[in-house]
Parts: sequence; structure tokens; C-alpha cells
Amino acid sequence: MPDRERSGGSVRRSRRSVLRTSGAALAAAGVAGCVGGGGGSGGSAEPVNDELTLWHAMGGGNGETLNALGDQFEKETGISITMQFQDSYESVLTNFLGALESGEVPDFAQIDSLFAKQVLDTGRVEPVEELLSDGFPVEDFLPNVTSFFTVDGTLQSLPFNNSNAIMYYNRTAFEEAGLDPDDPPSTLSEVRSASETLVDEGVVDAGITWPNHVWFVEHWFSTAGQLLFDAENGHAGEPSTLLTDNDTARDLYEWWRGMAADDLYVNPGIEAWGQATSAFLQQEAAMLLTSTAFVAGARSGAEENGFEVDNAFYPTVGEERVGPVIGGASFFVPSGLPDDRREDIGAFLEFMASPDAQKQWHKGTGYYPIRQTAVDELASAGWFEENPMFRTALDQLQESGDDPATKRMLVGPARQSQQIIQDTSVPVFTGDTGVEEGLSKMKSDVENELA
Amino acid sequence: MATREVFESRWQAAALLLPTVLVSIVFLYAPAVRAFELSLFEVGFGTGEADFVGLENYRTLLTSSEYHLSVLLTVLFAVAVVVGVMSFSLVVSFLIHEVEVGKGLYLVSAIWPYALPPAVAGFVFFFLLHPDLGVLTRPIERFGVDVDWFSSGPQAFALITVVAVWKQVGYNVIFMSASMNNIPGSLTETARLDGVGRLRRLLWVYAPIMSPTLAFLAVMNTIYAFFGTFAFIDVMTQGGPAGATNILIFDLYRDALQNFEFGVASAKSVVLFLIVGGLMYVQFRVTEKHAYYGG
Amino acid sequence: MTLLETIVDVPNRAAEYLSGERTGDRLARLREDGLAVHAALASLVLLLLFPVLVAVIVSTKESGIITGLGGLVPGGNTYANYYRALVELEFYRYMLNSLVMASVVVVGKLVVSLLAVLAVVYYRVPYKDIVFLFILFTLLLPVPVRFVPLYRLVTGLGWNNTVLAITVPYLASATTVFVLRQHFLSIPPSLVENAKLDGVGPLEFLWRVLIPMSKGILVGVSVIIFVYAWNQYLWPLVIVGDDLQVAQVGLGQLRGQAQAGDVAWALTMTGSVLTLLPPLVLLVLFRKPLLETFSIQRK
Repeated sequence: MPDRERSGGSVRRSRRSVLRTSGAALAAAGVAGCVGGGGGSGGSAEPVNDELTLWHAMGGGNGETLNALGDQFEKETGISITMQFQDSYESVLTNFLGALESGEVPDFAQIDSLFAKQVLDTGRVEPVEELLSDGFPVEDFLPNVTSFFTVDGTLQSLPFNNSNAIMYYNRTAFEEAGLDPDDPPSTLSEVRSASETLVDEGVVDAGITWPNHVWFVEHWFSTAGQLLFDAENGHAGEPSTLLTDNDTARDLYEWWRGMAADDLYVNPGIEAWGQATSAFLQQEAAMLLTSTAFVAGARSGAEENGFEVDNAFYPTVGEERVGPVIGGASFFVPSGLPDDRREDIGAFLEFMASPDAQKQWHKGTGYYPIRQTAVDELASAGWFEENPMFRTALDQLQESGDDPATKRMLVGPARQSQQIIQDTSVPVFTGDTGVEEGLSKMKSDVENELA
Repeated sequence: MATREVFESRWQAAALLLPTVLVSIVFLYAPAVRAFELSLFEVGFGTGEADFVGLENYRTLLTSSEYHLSVLLTVLFAVAVVVGVMSFSLVVSFLIHEVEVGKGLYLVSAIWPYALPPAVAGFVFFFLLHPDLGVLTRPIERFGVDVDWFSSGPQAFALITVVAVWKQVGYNVIFMSASMNNIPGSLTETARLDGVGRLRRLLWVYAPIMSPTLAFLAVMNTIYAFFGTFAFIDVMTQGGPAGATNILIFDLYRDALQNFEFGVASAKSVVLFLIVGGLMYVQFRVTEKHAYYGG
Repeated sequence: MTLLETIVDVPNRAAEYLSGERTGDRLARLREDGLAVHAALASLVLLLLFPVLVAVIVSTKESGIITGLGGLVPGGNTYANYYRALVELEFYRYMLNSLVMASVVVVGKLVVSLLAVLAVVYYRVPYKDIVFLFILFTLLLPVPVRFVPLYRLVTGLGWNNTVLAITVPYLASATTVFVLRQHFLSIPPSLVENAKLDGVGPLEFLWRVLIPMSKGILVGVSVIIFVYAWNQYLWPLVIVGDDLQVAQVGLGQLRGQAQAGDVAWALTMTGSVLTLLPPLVLLVLFRKPLLETFSIQRK
């Protein structure tokens, strides 16, 4: 459904053994429960296939780009790899956790950064840094990206498709409303006044929309330099609470509530990415907050619906702008795979992280490249001048300071925390619950999950 | 009744029952019993660790006011769905029964939507009735209704009920039509000759004869309401707003397959099993007394 | 058999007889009430069909974004959408798999349940009511409740990635057993006694007496089993791989990646409409037995 991150796309690479392990593992959980003992593999793991296997959640055009990279890797190295599409990040996570438990595993799993901690906590993944060859230029990774994936000083998983949230806006609507399309709002209060103008001029029904997803709240906190969880969002120990007792939280929800009360905001629904995008494309709302991966879709969608689209930095809660959190996913590798595979696994990781592969991936999808060399090469080839929309997210990332608040939350019960934040936001912005009351409920519910 | 039991060979009876009983034990009861055992554990997913916690998971449920609300909601929901779907389907089936022309067309059209996959059905309704973007939202608001189910609990509950009812009508029409076709034409004629109106004929002549079918459908619709409706909620409301649509099966689905809390989820399955099992038992007792098993 | 037919035909004849005398009167009344009834019926049925019609319309569009009621007119992308779904994204393959699975489940469930009901209704043996209740209570054990251990079991049998895995666990059917039992109980015992007097064995009795008398209900139940099997998602997703994967999972291949701004609603609906076709064919083909369970109603 549009509200989950289901993806669709090429099927030609799927394999019959894809989900076998996952289920086996789920089953193992059941059996372990019954006998009360630990199941699992005791350190060694069996590959699901003879050839290298990657479980991923990239559908549509993104899936095709990923498959093309796989083909290229096979051609260059003679090592075969199967890319197995698994419907959604949630399915990849379920199947991968199951696989780790059963001991029959894929070589790589593309895990949403939100779920990173859950995978790390199994203790059954190998830090990818140990699989890269000695001469690999680790320092060439964009530090703002790798900092999230580095835990205990080691790069745990290979960042691959990474993004942050930016603001898309309808230039045509801005012009019609007499707003300067070259000076889009950069703070929430500017978003509000622009929305008022847009609606008052009768250009659109509402000013702005975004899916009710925790990622956007995370962005408002990080751009304000405010931690969302204690223990540095989980990067400096086990977090125990949600940090909602601060001005960032209060200002954000007061604003959100005001926007909703005055019908300046379209509420597309919880995790309703598709509805938010549609509201923007069908010009119900003139601004949209969503992933950088929407760049290509924004261009074609706007063209189809007869308006000119542009993008800008994520609007901040106050005047201060620290930086965005990362989003997207990385490749995890299970520990205990036979030694003779490890070299091939390393080769694939290095290939996917190579400037050429990263450039290709960036151009095909809108996710930003994670290597400085790739960025430099794209810049000198004039790519960003021709495609300024591709530049925004990268600039936003690179202008960001090294602040703990810009490291995305790394918590075990991430899905539960996400649900609580999203669910509890609703009565707050609709005005059914007071801001203080809602925020403290959010806090205590998350604390219960973390305890 | 006794005359119906014309065969007596026990081994034949056993052989005939074997496939169904075997599959029931192996694939239904045994896994369920094992799943119920899990309710005594706290299960870590990905590591295979399971800690015995005794009745802790049940204590959690017993003390959770959100869970109590969820139980209450689910019962209300089930009642609304069963009553709604059965009265609507009864009218549709009756009207189909009444007409001579286009019977087949009506029947197929009434049953067909039942085949729409639940998640897709949820999506189509989301699309149609989205508070801001829905195709039907503005036309409905012209009647003075403020479509606001993202924040209004009662509206969200009503919406989910309507969708759940809509989805189950075809199932009911199949059985009700078959049952109405069993009603002897003579009875209909007698009623007509006596000048009994349509509605009264439906309620006082047909319904009693159909009572075994209606009893069966009441049970099936109850089970559907309790177990078959989580996809709509997953797509449309995620249990919200403020838990207003957080019915037990969605709650369980979220715990087990999204949050991987297998222990708590298993405890919830046990509770769900007991609630629905109890209801089913009551329904059987009631219908055994009152349903008219003709023949 | 002639005896049976005669008995079954009695109410029919009675109806004919009763209506025969006053045919003109009755027809007139029908016509009079007919219009109102038809109007009511048509609007109710349209209400039921509306979401399906919307799905069909969206499947003909380019992106599938509809802004209002005015947008509910067919678009010009029908061929492109269906071609992309069926051929390019190989949705036909998933549909074939589903067709195999659903057909096996329908036939299997009917056979297995008919046998069980024969024992429950026509045998004088002890404990059969308990066995019946035992079968009935499987209704309370849907897949999400027993998901984890079921997997262990089926993989333990080595059935994963086989048709067995997505069919055999579905074969026990409380619904079918219940419905058939109820139906058989409504068949007058005198018929059975006649058959018994003729010295017919149980299986022949089932085949030659019960099944011909149950066409309508069997078709109805088949439709329900078919839709149930056809709409399975969770279990096939984990138990079989891509070669055997079913249409409900295949639908996932048609959905765009919403987070990346893919608004692939048209394709999603294309897939949904495709999955609705087999049940429609089934209904159209078998509408007659469905309408004429006992051939009482119509001549």
C-alpha cells in the first residue's frame, strides 16, 4: 500500500530460497520459546545460496538501478550475485532477523537505518570495516553519513542508499500568490506566513504537507540541535527517555497544531507517503517535506500536472540550523560466514562503495553519493549545475556541523518508539490533547518501551 | 432425525473423518498449542533467546488500560459488524430473490466485491474517503458531515465498521440466497395470497425458515470481525486515533509481526481465543434452542 | 433417482399450481412492485460495486491521482498499465501460481470435507458430535495466531517451496464442514432411507444422491474457498519463494516505492483488478447452480 514502504519492481532476480530461512528462523523463535533454550547458530552461519546473495527492498526504478549495479559487478569481477527483492524494509528486517536466528543467512541485508540497533543487538553481524581491504580509503566516506553507521569506533554496516528530508515547493503557485519563488521559507514561521498567503490568494487549499512519520520529527529536532533521546540519541549508551521537555518540542507541536487548526496543513495520514506526494502533485498543498529520493519523481510529476517544482532546505523550528539526520539504509553482513566467501563479500562492498557505482546510483535514484570523490567528480562534470535539485540534500548534509543531535536515533525498540511518536502526534496537532499533556504521554510511553 | 444415520461401520466413519481430523491436529491445533506456550516466555528475536517469565505477559495485559479499551472496542466492533452485515445482506438477498429479471446479474454483482483483497479494499476506501484528499469527501461534506476520521475516534470506528461490513456482504449473500432458494415456493405464495407485505414476509416467514443459515452466518461474521479485519486497520488508521480502532487482531498483528514481541502477542492470542471461543459457545447454545432446523 | 426428483419437484409443482390460477394477477403485481424493487436493488448493488469500479477506473490512468468525482472517468493508459503489469512485471506468473494453489485448495477442501460430513451426518457412531466441535473450533486459529510454530513444522517436513506447503495446511475446513452438515441435515431422512433400501454404499450414496442435490451449496462454498485461498498473503510470503509465489505477494511488485515518490496507484489497481477476474469468471460460470440450488425457484 502507499502508506507502507512497499516497493515494486524487477522480479527477475528473485530466488526460491529467499524467505525460507526467514521463516525457519521465526519458527526457531517459537521452538526456542517452547524449550526455553537458545536456538541459533553458535557462531557459524550457512549461506542461503552458493552465489552471493543480497536481500533488498528497492522496487520500481530504484530496483532496476540496483540490479544494473549487480550485473556490472558480475562482469567486472566474475563473482556472481543474486539480488533478492523482498517487498519492504520491514520484510527484509523480519527475514534477516529470522535468518540470523536460524543460521542460514544471506550475505547482505539492506536494513533501514531506523532498525540498525535491532540488528546490532543480535550480536550476529560482522562489522563491514573488517571485510574491507586494508588499503580501502575509509576516510573518503562523507563523515556525516558514516558517523551514524559507526558504533564503538567501527563501521558496522556499509551505508548505501542514504537521504535526508528536504522541502519541495511549487514555484508556479508561489509566483501566483506573489511570493518570491527564489526565496522559499526556511523556518516554520516563514512556512506559516507563506502558507497563509498561498491560501488567502486562493492559489491552493493548504500550504504544506508531509507524511506523519517519525523521520520528520527527527529532522526538526536535529536541525534545531536538539537530541530526541538521551545518551546522544542512543550513540553514547542505552537511552532511557524521550526528550520532549524542551522548547524545540513545544514550539514544533504548537506550530503544527496551529497549522492544522487553520487548515494550512494537509494531514495525509500516518506513514502516508503516497498521499502526501499526491497532495503536492495535485496542488492541494504548495509545499511538501519528503525524501531527497523524490527528486526525479518530483520533476516528472510536476511536469505531468503542469507546474514548476523546486526544492530547498528543510525548514527549521527556530532560527538556528544545525543539520539533518540521515535516512535510508545500509548493508549488514552476518558474522560466521565461511572464510572463502569473505573476500568476495568484501569485493562487493567495495564495488558498491566505489565512486563510479555511487555516481550511477545517485543519478538513477536521487540518493546522495557517500564518497567525497564521487561528489567531486559529479561537481566537476557539471552535474549539479544541470540538476540543482540533486544538490540540495547534499548541501544540507555537508553544511551540517558535527553535532550529536544529527546522528539519527539508535534505539532497540525503534518501531515501537516510532509508532508512539506518530500515534501521539495526532491528538496533539488536531487539538484533542494539550501540547504539554501529549508530549508527556509520548515521553512516558517511550520510556516504558525502553525500560 | 435418527433415521438419517443409516450407516454404522465405525472404521468407515473413522476413515472418512481421518483427513480432516489429521490436518486439524497437525496444522492447526499443534502449532496453536505451541504458540500458546510462547505466552509464558519473553522472546528475543534474532538471537533465539527466550526467558521463562511465567504469567508476566498476562499480568501486563491485565493491568493495561489500553488493552482493556481494546477488548471493549473489539466487542462493540464485532456487534456492529455482525448486525450491519446481516441486515444489509438480508435486504439485498431478499430483493434479489424477489425479482424475476436480471437475478443472475444482481447476484454476481453483489457477490463479486467480496473477492477484492482486504488490503486493496482498505486502500480504495482510503482513497475515496481521505479527510483532505478523498474523492467522496467533498460531496459528503455537502450534506453537513465534517469528514474527520483522522482525529475523530467515533468517525474512524464507524469507517472501519462500514468497510468491514461492505467487505463481508458478498459472503452473506451467497448463503442467504442459497437459503432463500430453499424456501418452498408454496409458502411464498400462501403468504402472498394472505396479503402479507414484503417486509413482514421477510421477517416473519422467511427469516424463521432461514434461521439455521442466519445462525451459521452470525458465527462466521463474528469470527470474521475478530480475526479477518486487521488489513483495513493497517492500511487506514493504524489503530488510531488515540486507539479508537485498535481492535485485538490488529494489536496482535502489530505486536507479533511488526514489533516481534512474540511472548506478549501469544498471550494476546490466548485471550482472543478465549473470548471468541466463549462467544461461539454461547451462540451455539442459543441457536440450538431457537434455530429452526427444518426437514 | 426418479423418486428423488419427484419428491424434490413437489414444492415446485405446488407453486405452479398455486400461481397458475391467478397468473395474470401475479404478473401485474410483479410489474407494479418491480420498478421500485429494481431501483432499490440497483442502487444497493451499485453501492457494493462502487469501490471495484473505482479500482477499474484508476487502473486505466497514468499515475492514478484523482482529484475529485470528475476524475472518475477512464483514462487512456489501460493497455500500457495492463501490459506493464502482466508482461513486464510478470504478474501473469503469480496469477498462475495462485490459480494452481486455489484450485488445489478448492478441490481438496471439498473432497476432504464431504467425506467428513458424510461420517458426521449419516453414521451412527459415538463421539461424532465431539469430533464435529473439534473441527469447528479450528475457526479460532487463524494464521497469525500459529504463524511461528507452523513454519517450523512445515520446513521440518521439507515442504517449504512446494505446492504442498501452500495447500495441505488449508485442507481442513470448519466452514465447509459446517455448511455441508447443515445442508445435509435439511435433506429429508426419507430420501436416505430409500437409498438405504436400494442397498447403496456410502461413497456411491455421496456421489449419486448427495452431491447432485447439493450443487448450489457446493458452488457457493467453492467460491468462498477460492476467494479465501486466492487472498492468502502472509503464509505464502514466508513459506514459498518466487517460483511459486502467489498473486497477493506479487501485487507488491506493482506498487511503487512510495518513499521515493513513486505514486504507482494505477499499477496497484491494475494488479487488483487482475486478481478480481478469476473469481468473476467463477461467479458468472456458476451463477445458475448458485441461483437454482434446489431448482425450486425457477422453471
